[in-house]
Amino acid sequence: MIRIAAVGDIHYGDDSAGRLLPALRAVHEHAELLLIAGDLTRRGTAAEAEVLAAELSQVQVPVVAVLGNHDYEAGEPERVRAAIEKAGAVVLEGEPATVRADGATVGVAGVKGFGGGFAGASGSSFGEPEMKLFMATTELAAAALADSLESLGSTDLRIALMHYAPIPETLQGERLEIYPFLGSYLLCEPVDRLGADLVLHGHAHRGREKGVTPGGTAVRNVAEPVLRHAYAVYELGG
Amino acid sequence: MDAQDHYLAAEIQEALARDPRLAELHLDVAVVGGAVHITGEVATVERRDAVLDLVRSRFGGRDVHCHVSVTPTEGPQEPEAIG
Repeated sequence: MIRIAAVGDIHYGDDSAGRLLPALRAVHEHAELLLIAGDLTRRGTAAEAEVLAAELSQVQVPVVAVLGNHDYEAGEPERVRAAIEKAGAVVLEGEPATVRADGATVGVAGVKGFGGGFAGASGSSFGEPEMKLFMATTELAAAALADSLESLGSTDLRIALMHYAPIPETLQGERLEIYPFLGSYLLCEPVDRLGADLVLHGHAHRGREKGVTPGGTAVRNVAEPVLRHAYAVYELGG
Repeated sequence: MDAQDHYLAAEIQEALARDPRLAELHLDVAVVGGAVHITGEVATVERRDAVLDLVRSRFGGRDVHCHVSVTPTEGPQEPEAIG
């Protein structure tokens, strides 16, 4: 059995130092791996990422993260990524990561993802170039997720990690009008086609924690305001 | 909500998102009879104070009711078994 700690939307800023530190220092007492589902920072500056990096460097288990939309706001996501990776964490955008924990291998496929909406109520790649670009962004993220899942190979466990939501069920509590900005069914299709044991996402602060893909894989919205804790812990492979 | 209140609420919501000290996209703003009501959650006490400061400084002269709470940071609950 592997225990996975997960959280998203921690939105670190200059005023965040120490906020999650006691909980982060204790992760190894609860889990063998920590996954972070994007929005590591408030505005996506390298300085904000440094505040978080200092705290992640004290985590005693492997840390794998994806970025979120907030981590792009300042236009320097690569600097955010570099700061987090300097602390020993892995930041994914379409790459696979394999972590050894407690004698087992855990494969993590991670992307930020993007919006678009859900089957039957989704945007289409049609009309203005801006609309085509919007949907192409989501299609590219879904393709990167598929590549990543394919290249994981045979690990004991497979986890899909993203910021945007792959299903609408975990958005319930958000206003229906903004669902197309919160996720896309295109991010779910590779999971059901290629298989995973768990899907983790964030982004929807007012959504709910638990859902399932149409193919039957558990989905958890781990946005910190949803969890109301520093992280959740999931046991897999038991 | 009259038209003036309606557009003011949208303007405040946009300001909360765009202000670099805040970048808060997850707060609800309602303006009723000229009074501003803000609800939702932010990560720190400082950010809650900054929300109030911004609304008072840029949209002053109105009653402002800030129902914004701060996200808790306690350790995890009992683990959930998946599968």
